[in-house]
Amino acid sequence: MTFPNILAGIFEGFGVTATVTFYGMLYAVPFAFGAGILQHFTRGWARLAVTAVIEFWRSSPVIITLFVMYYTLPSFGLTLSGMTVGAMALGLNIGGYGSQAVRAALQSLDKGQVEAGLALGLRRWEVLGLVELPQAFTAMLPSFVNQFIQLVKGTALVSLITLTDMTFRAKELSQLSYDPVGTYTGLLVAYFIVCYPATILGRMLERRVSTPARGLHDL
Amino acid sequence: MTETVIPAVSLQGVTKKYGTFQALTNVSLTVAKGERVVICGPSGSGKSTLIRCINQLERHDGGKIIVDGAEIGAHGTRLPELRREVGMVFQHFNLFPHLTVLRNCTLALTRARKMPRAKAEEIAHHYLARVRIPEQADKFPSQLSGGQQQRVAIARALCMNPQVILFDEPTSALDPEMIKEVLDVMIDLAQGQMTMICVTHEMGFARKVADRVVFMDRGEIVEAAPPEDFFNSPQNERTRLFLGQIL
Repeated sequence: MTFPNILAGIFEGFGVTATVTFYGMLYAVPFAFGAGILQHFTRGWARLAVTAVIEFWRSSPVIITLFVMYYTLPSFGLTLSGMTVGAMALGLNIGGYGSQAVRAALQSLDKGQVEAGLALGLRRWEVLGLVELPQAFTAMLPSFVNQFIQLVKGTALVSLITLTDMTFRAKELSQLSYDPVGTYTGLLVAYFIVCYPATILGRMLERRVSTPARGLHDL
Repeated sequence: MTETVIPAVSLQGVTKKYGTFQALTNVSLTVAKGERVVICGPSGSGKSTLIRCINQLERHDGGKIIVDGAEIGAHGTRLPELRREVGMVFQHFNLFPHLTVLRNCTLALTRARKMPRAKAEEIAHHYLARVRIPEQADKFPSQLSGGQQQRVAIARALCMNPQVILFDEPTSALDPEMIKEVLDVMIDLAQGQMTMICVTHEMGFARKVADRVVFMDRGEIVEAAPPEDFFNSPQNERTRLFLGQIL
């Protein structure tokens, strides 16, 4: 098999990789914002509970949550498809990290911003939506882009729960061609081809949201 | 006679603690509509805490705070509605850096007062002209000088057409050459019969526009008198000591 052939074969799995990434984002983004904002707002026991949920997803290895959800949940009568399990396990793991970017960005804002919003008679959630989040977003963006790339790379694990993503295809190809060196080199190149544009896109986005007028905060 | 007129702000025996630190002790103060009150005192005397209690950026622990006839914390009074009647200008301006000057001024009008954008912008332009920076409307706060930013903050507060405006050391974070432009705007406001409660160290301003000067020390109101009496014949020893240090 020639190298282009190997790449073409691997990219037959691109659809699955992209789909897991997409559904993963559907879990990751709401979880990151929901958990990060809750952690920002709550105190005491409520905060401890939110933190516990975040830490569970953040500190358990994805491979183990994947196996637990895919192989052991069915014995408790809950059978989820590989796609659902992959998207959830990866998405919530990445979302857990993302929540810390959200919380950190919200906490780094000057508290005078919230006070000014409240003093104008805005409700607390309006201050969050109109004043805090738009400013925090700029600060979150770099780590969001990083985490998106982590998610793309993380999808390689779903090949272990029978999904035919790029990594799964590479395993098949290497077995057929007896050329693991060529195939896995091809796989590396394939992930680079997928991830690098995301890095570039991220940098462009960062530049756009931090225009000079908005970036130079006197205070 | 005076009992029938509702004061703009009335504080009755207000107390506030931070842990074991007594920030306010039994503070009572009534500010009539149209009155200009300057609050001064050494740092840590509770001046900022006092005015921050009026719009409840700090919660008081005891006593009553009544704004335009409605008691804060009483059944049926809602904080956001109340705060729309109480403007506030901060030491560090606290403009929203991600929004233009114009949007800083219209945000609460369109969101809290549900005013159409065009009407809100008309009002914002009016008050930006009043604080003498009509040409800066489309800039971002970071493109303005400190004095200009503080004037935008004053315009932002005025846009809500509040019953009273609280100033929390509005010139303390400014370079000396910018203090005057902000004070001039405040003097202009005072002459327009706006009810104002100003925490400031600008004694020239106090002499010029205040109806009453209140001196606070260690969380208490030590003395309150018209500027004439306050500066020329202070009654309390602590007031004399303070004035001796700053004048």
